[in-house]
Amino acid sequence: MNRILIRRSLLIGAIILVCAFFIQHWPVRLGLDLRGGASLILRVRVDDIPSTQRAEVVEQTRQILERRINAYGLSETPVQSYGSRGNELLVQLPGVSDPTHIRNLLQSRAVLEWYSVDDGPYPSTADALARHGGILPLNRKLFPTRSAPDGQRAWYLLDRQPVIRGTDLRGARVSAGPMEQPVTTFTLSQEAATRFEHYTQAHIGQRSAIVLDQEILSIPVIEDVIRDTGQIRGARNLQEAEDLAVNLRSGALPAAIEVAHERIVEASLGADSIRHGLQAGAVGLVAVVAAMLFYYRWAGANATLALLVNGVLLIAALACFGAVLTLPGIAGVVLTIGMAVDSNVLIFERIREELRTGKSAAAALAAGFSKAFATLVDTHVTTVVSCAFLFFFGTPAVRGFAATLVVGLITNLFTSVFVSRVAFDWELSRHKETAKLSIGLAH
Amino acid sequence: MELFRNTHFDFLGRKWWFILPSLLLTVAGLISLVVNGGPRYGIDFLGGAVMEVRWEGPPPIERIRTAVSSQLTGVSVVAAHDATGSNEVLVSAEVPAMTDLTALRQTLDHALSTVSSSYSIRSFEAIGPQIGADLRRQALLAAGGATGGMLLYLAWRFRTAYGVAAVIAMAHDAFITFGLLSLLHLEISLTVVAALLTLIGYSMNDTIVVFDRIRENRRASRREPLAETINQSINQTLSRTVLTSGLTLLTALSLLFFGGPVLHGFSLVLVIGIIVGTCSSIFIASPILLAWEQTADRVAETRIALPQGGVR
Repeated sequence: MNRILIRRSLLIGAIILVCAFFIQHWPVRLGLDLRGGASLILRVRVDDIPSTQRAEVVEQTRQILERRINAYGLSETPVQSYGSRGNELLVQLPGVSDPTHIRNLLQSRAVLEWYSVDDGPYPSTADALARHGGILPLNRKLFPTRSAPDGQRAWYLLDRQPVIRGTDLRGARVSAGPMEQPVTTFTLSQEAATRFEHYTQAHIGQRSAIVLDQEILSIPVIEDVIRDTGQIRGARNLQEAEDLAVNLRSGALPAAIEVAHERIVEASLGADSIRHGLQAGAVGLVAVVAAMLFYYRWAGANATLALLVNGVLLIAALACFGAVLTLPGIAGVVLTIGMAVDSNVLIFERIREELRTGKSAAAALAAGFSKAFATLVDTHVTTVVSCAFLFFFGTPAVRGFAATLVVGLITNLFTSVFVSRVAFDWELSRHKETAKLSIGLAH
Repeated sequence: MELFRNTHFDFLGRKWWFILPSLLLTVAGLISLVVNGGPRYGIDFLGGAVMEVRWEGPPPIERIRTAVSSQLTGVSVVAAHDATGSNEVLVSAEVPAMTDLTALRQTLDHALSTVSSSYSIRSFEAIGPQIGADLRRQALLAAGGATGGMLLYLAWRFRTAYGVAAVIAMAHDAFITFGLLSLLHLEISLTVVAALLTLIGYSMNDTIVVFDRIRENRRASRREPLAETINQSINQTLSRTVLTSGLTLLTALSLLFFGGPVLHGFSLVLVIGIIVGTCSSIFIASPILLAWEQTADRVAETRIALPQGGVR
C-alpha cells in the first residue's frame, strides 16, 4: 500500500479526533435567540456632560452595570460598548425574560439620599405652593413619594442639602424586617457615619426622608442615635429589595440611561427555532446526499464523506473560537451544506471532462483537482469578502451568520480538496488492475 | 448519469430570451418601488416594536389589529405561516417618538388582553428610531463595501472587464430580488439584507466559474473569436452550473419550508436569488464581457490603424 496515502488518512483521522475533543469540551454556545434571554442596547445620556468626560462616564456606567449583573451571576462578559457613537452599550442577559426585573436592574440610577423633612405631606405641588403663599421657602425643595399601586402620590418639602448622598454608602444587603417584610440595610462610610451620628443626635423625634432616584421611599421618624447603618423599607417583594441592595452596592450610575433597542426571547421560542433549524438542515442534507449519490455513484459517497468531515470541522472551529450560534447562524450552516457540495461538483465535473478526453483514471484525477483548485480559491475568496462586510452590522445575530459562513468556507476548502482527494486515492489503490473511477460516467 | 454531454448551445445568440424577461422584471420592480414610495423597510430599519405571540386556537387577526391600532400607529398583524401549523402571530407597530421603549411592551400587552386572555408573549423586540437609522447606513456600507471589494479582487485576478461584467450581473441580481420583494409586499428586514449579501457572494461564485473557464480557454487558443470561446466555456461548465444551483436551491427550499417563520423572508430571498443569479452569469455577465472586450478591441484597432492611414 501507498505509504503517503496511509499517512494522509491518519492525518485526517487525527484532525477529526481533535475536533471531536474540542466539541466535547467546549460545546458551541447558543445565541440569545436560541436559548432565550434579553439583549439590550442602552444609551447613556451624556448630552449635559462636558465632552472631555463623556468617555469616562460611559466607561464608569459600563463597569457599574457589569457589577450589577454579575451580582446575579448572570453572564461572564455582559456589557460591551457598542456602535460608533461612543455612548451606547450592548447588554446580553441569557435566561432573563422578566422585563420589569431587567428594567430595575439596568435603568434605575440608584442615587440614594437622606434628607430632613421640613413639612408635608401635600396632595399636590399646587397645594404645597398654596400653603406657602405661592413661593417655596429658601433652601427647600419638593419631592414626590413613589406612586402607590393606585397611582396616588404625596409631596413633601425637604431640605435642599441631603444629609447623606450616594457616595457615602459602603455596602447594602437584604434582611428580613418586622412582619417578614424584606428590608434593605445599608452601611455608611466612616466619615459619613460621624456626620450622621451628629445629625441624628440633634434631630431625635423629627421626620426624615429616604430618597431614591428623586422619589421618596419612606419617611422614618428618628427614634435614636444612628451611627452607620440605616434601613429602607417599602419594597413590594423580596426581588425588589434585592435589586435595590445590588444597585446600591454597585454604586450609583453617573448618568441616566435610556433603552435604544430591546429584544427579549422566551426560552421555549428558542427551542422551537432550534428544532426548525435542525429539521431544515436534516431535510437539506438528505436531499443533497441523495442527489449526489444518484448522479455521481461512488464519487457521491466520497463527497458525502467530505461533507460530514466539513460539518465536524465547522462545529469544532465555532466551539474553539467561542463563536455564538444564532438562528441566522444555523441558516448559515444549512447553506454551507449546499455551497460545500459545490466544490465537489466543480472538481467531479472537471474529472469527468478529463476522463472523456481519454486520460487514465489517475491522470484525470490529478488534472481535475489541480485545474479546479484555482477556480475554488477565486469563488471562496469572493464569498469571504462579501461575508466579511456583514460584520459591519454590530448585531450579534448577523455576525453569527457571517462567522459560520466564513468558517464553513475555509473548512470546506480543506475537505473538498484534501479529504476527498485521499478518498479517491484509496479507491484507485484498491482497483489497481482496472483503474476505473466510479463517477457516474457511462464507459 | 450525465445531464449534459458535449452540448453546443448558442447561449450568446439566445441571450435575449433571458434579457427580455429580466428587463420586464426590472421595470416591474421599479414601478412597484415608485408606486409604493420606496422599499418597505421592516422595523429593524425604521424603529418600532415586534412581538411574537402564541395564540390558543385560531387567532382573530382583525380584532387584534383593531385593538392594537387604537393604541399605536403603523400596526401590522400577521399570522406566521409554518409547516407545523402552530398559531403564531407577529404583531408589529411603529414606535411613537420619544417614548420609553420598556413601556411599549405593556401597551401592546394591554391591547392584546382586551381581545383574549389565552395568549403568551414569546418574544418582544423594540428598536429605537436611531438604531434603525444606524442599521440602514450600515446596510448600505456593507453592500457597497462588499461590491467594491469583489470588484478589486476580480480586476486583480482577471482583468477589469471581467470584474465589471461580474459586478454588473451581481447588481442586476440584487436589484431584481429587491424589486420582487417590493412586488410581493415583503418587508426588508435585517435578515433579508443578510440574505441579499449572501446572494451577492453566491451570484459572484457562479459567474467566476464561467469566467475562469473563459480565461483558461482563451489562453489555450487565442485565435478563436471571443464569442465562440465564451459559448464553449458556458457549455463546458453547464452541468456544474445546473447541478450546483440545483443543490443549493434544495437547501434553500428546505430552509423555506422547514426553517420556521423567523427565517421565512431570508430563505425566500435566497430561493429567488439563486435562480436569478444562475441565469445572470450566463445571460448577463457573459454578453457584457463580450461587448466590453469587442469595444476595447475596436478602440485599439482604430488607434493602431491611425498612424498607418497617415492623413487625418
